[in-house]
Amino acid sequence: MSTLLEAALATLVFCAPGYPGAAGDAQPLVDQFASAAVAASGWPSGSLAAVYDPTEQGGLAKLNSADAVLAFVPYPFFVEHASQLHLSPLVQADVTDVGPQQRWSLVAKSGRVTGPASMAGFTILSTAGYAPDFVRHAALQGWVLPPDVKIEATGQILSALRRVAAGEPVAVLLDQTQAAALATLPFAADLKTLIQSPQLPVAIIVVVDSRVPAARARALQEALLKMGAGSAGDALGALHLRGFVPAKLPAAAPTP
Amino acid sequence: MSKRLCWGLLMATVGGCASQPRPAPPPPSAPPSTVGALAAAIDADSKRSDHETDSKARAEIAADASRNADSCLALQPQAVACLYGRGIAFGLEARAHPTRAGEFLSNMLDALARADAADPAYDAAGPSRVRALVLLRAPGWPLGPGDADAALVAARRAVALKPEYPANLLALAEALAKTGDGSGARDAYSRARDAAIAMPTSEDRDAWLRESDQGLAKAR
Repeated sequence: MSTLLEAALATLVFCAPGYPGAAGDAQPLVDQFASAAVAASGWPSGSLAAVYDPTEQGGLAKLNSADAVLAFVPYPFFVEHASQLHLSPLVQADVTDVGPQQRWSLVAKSGRVTGPASMAGFTILSTAGYAPDFVRHAALQGWVLPPDVKIEATGQILSALRRVAAGEPVAVLLDQTQAAALATLPFAADLKTLIQSPQLPVAIIVVVDSRVPAARARALQEALLKMGAGSAGDALGALHLRGFVPAKLPAAAPTP
Repeated sequence: MSKRLCWGLLMATVGGCASQPRPAPPPPSAPPSTVGALAAAIDADSKRSDHETDSKARAEIAADASRNADSCLALQPQAVACLYGRGIAFGLEARAHPTRAGEFLSNMLDALARADAADPAYDAAGPSRVRALVLLRAPGWPLGPGDADAALVAARRAVALKPEYPANLLALAEALAKTGDGSGARDAYSRARDAAIAMPTSEDRDAWLRESDQGLAKAR
């Protein structure tokens, strides 16, 4: 009975701050993924529930619940909260059209920024703006920002880029997909990429606070690394994933 | 995590934005054959889709709406009811087929633009209002057509065309909130509430009041 109860309480929390999608709409997809992962890993059927939260605060609240044993989070979220929540990387997501890693690009108005020091008083807007440690120390590790630079989260990247082009003291940190699309903007000529980050993980699955026994975590890890075909492939495709690769985090990545 | 994780998942809020949720009417028994009947059938499809949770059934409803829109356009290619209905049908297709939502939403915006050119006042400035809601709720650049700034322009146009229609004021309030004008959003929600109170009792009125109250509570 206690084993069944314990199994029923295990939850995988998907959290993607700054990205589109509502929890109710995402639920069938994350349910499908959890079922496929359980089947592939040999965990008892129905032993892993999944839940999606599009907000940082909502995701944190769910991860603080004792039943949250695993999390699927963007790398910026991991950098910001890994130490506090004791997140241990299990696997790294291989995202369709992006891959397992990506570079972030800092974009400003052409001619407006000549170096990090000239960004005094600027605001950096980004979908990853909820994770200032990630912005300062991971994405912009080679670009030391003046202390008064503000870092803010936004889901309105197009509006932010318009503000840049209009000459406001604003820069935008773009993920790889956004940066690749810059040239499509009618005001692209007014924008300049100042610096690109090193290759950084896109998203990872982590164990929360050692809440999964080591043997079960290993079984799940091995299963996730082999996912990619049949019904498991469908579950991945619905989330725009190609599969998973072993987690290879940058040397400066936080530890639990 | 990929932005694409939830690409298309919020189509539920876009597909049915032509009108407020009402009880789902039964499917029509005989195929409609006039512009008015076909437009009404598309409207009924939209409402049925709002109440349908099964993805396969939603796909069938979307296909029915598309057939009705095509039949309507075959009868009168320039009729605003048909152009508007074509836009709504594309929205239902986007909801039913999330992986192709980008294509359907782009077509939806094109159809709404044509409807607006034919008669901007149709359905109480529906072409501008629905355009605003699509731009507000669709994924933003570069994954989709979502664009809060453009949504605000469309919502202002809808309010200019039909100032006392609560749904237009609600769209404006949502656009103001999303573009960071909290005070303007509160004012628009308040105006929407007043406009709804002035309407005769109906399920639409109840829905507008509910949305106004929720918006005001959120904007506090």
